[in-house]
Amino acid sequence: MAYTVIPISNLQLAFTVFLVLIAGAVSALLRLGLLRSLLWGTVRTFVQLTLVGYALAYIFAVNNVWLVWAVITLMCYIAAWTAVRRTPGVAGDHSWLSFVAIAASTYLVGTIVTVLIIAPHPWYEARIAIPIFGMILGNTMNGIALSLERLHSGARARAGEIEAMLTFGATPWEAVRSIVREAIRAGMTPTINSLMVVGLVSLPGMMTGQILGGADPRLAVRYQIVVMLMIAAAAAMGCLILVGLSYKKLFTGDGALQPFVLQSRE
Amino acid sequence: MIEAGDDRQTELGPKLTRLFEFQAISYSLGSGAGRRVMVSGTAGEGDVLVVQGPSGAGKTTLLRILARLAPCPGGEAFLAGESWRQIPGPVWRSTVHCLAQKPVFFDGTVGANLAMPFETRLMRAGRPFDPGLARHRMDELLLPAGLWDQDARTLSGGEAARVALVRALALDPRVLLLDEPAAALDTVSREALYRVLAGWLQGGVRAALLVSHGEGYSGLDRVSFLTIEAQEGD
Repeated sequence: MAYTVIPISNLQLAFTVFLVLIAGAVSALLRLGLLRSLLWGTVRTFVQLTLVGYALAYIFAVNNVWLVWAVITLMCYIAAWTAVRRTPGVAGDHSWLSFVAIAASTYLVGTIVTVLIIAPHPWYEARIAIPIFGMILGNTMNGIALSLERLHSGARARAGEIEAMLTFGATPWEAVRSIVREAIRAGMTPTINSLMVVGLVSLPGMMTGQILGGADPRLAVRYQIVVMLMIAAAAAMGCLILVGLSYKKLFTGDGALQPFVLQSRE
Repeated sequence: MIEAGDDRQTELGPKLTRLFEFQAISYSLGSGAGRRVMVSGTAGEGDVLVVQGPSGAGKTTLLRILARLAPCPGGEAFLAGESWRQIPGPVWRSTVHCLAQKPVFFDGTVGANLAMPFETRLMRAGRPFDPGLARHRMDELLLPAGLWDQDARTLSGGEAARVALVRALALDPRVLLLDEPAAALDTVSREALYRVLAGWLQGGVRAALLVSHGEGYSGLDRVSFLTIEAQEGD
């Protein structure tokens, strides 16, 4: 049995527009008011993915270590920014801490996976490194956004307990320790849940992609195991670093709670 | 001719009458700079300084500033002559201990909550928790012994206020800042509370600040009063 990728021609691709027209017809018939966003979304999907396809083709062809590094760092920056932007109720600017947490965990775990486990030649092979780092980033981003939100909402909800601990002579760390623990747990839970049900509830995207791309399912599964475990490791590290650094922003230099924790959300 | 004993006395004298002192503590109330408070006060060893003033005059804010839970825009406080600038925050907060108006409890039994202050590294370095003394104080405050194993989050308002006081006394600060500790208590338990407080004050180099609306302080002696009032304008 030969494994090959079946190409999609321009004509075949254009045919998918009919699928959008079906969705558009439903929207128009039921007056859902989604027609504009549906069209805009379709256009963006085509344009963004086409550009990314060309960019990746170029990057894979050049396969330069510095270019790979620059692309991954840019991805880290976008992920850090997105993670912080999606956390309403979190006061203060956490983009720098978020970038540190994402970059540190992603680089460590990604490097271990590409260099030691998959071990391509050369070790920075763009075709391997960029998708691997991308998958780590996407999951770490969601994890740290959750844990950051949980840290702040937990501190607000339990401000009285934090202050009581402070009056017992607790350091800021001692006063928020239990909330920090809960925040990290919140950030890791989705990843751990996905470890439990993978393959049972849904086939992961990467594995599906490899199978469609003609890979032996048994090999695709091996890749998927590596990916699942690396995501769990990176999410744990990212949450740990971010929450471990960011809890200090809840306190003043004197070690008292910042006034904003005790006030209503803006 | 001056004897050695007298010499020691004059040296210790100022420390006894000025165990806790705050000078020109100034802060504004509300978000704007509309109403300002400027206040100074002193409490000597064994003294109770009752902080009075109309509602919204900033009494709780004053306690929070003195306990270093809220930032202090101006002024300075001293413990036995030593400025708060010389004392690290955690040390100050456990020595000048503020008991919140609304008692705060952690998950667990009353017994576990009473031992909670001794979970911090600072307190672990000192004297260990004394359950016998805590049980004795609960008894003095007319709390049933069976309360020890009860879930602290299920206490009634009056029980909670007294358990919180037992916990604050177990910490054994030099200065206790109490924010209406008797607000949820009936006359009998209020008198018990002041009796326990008076006994504690006499047991060492200690002083207390008490925010109160003046319900009579039976059993407390050496009570002095400080009235604060917010001033309009900047």
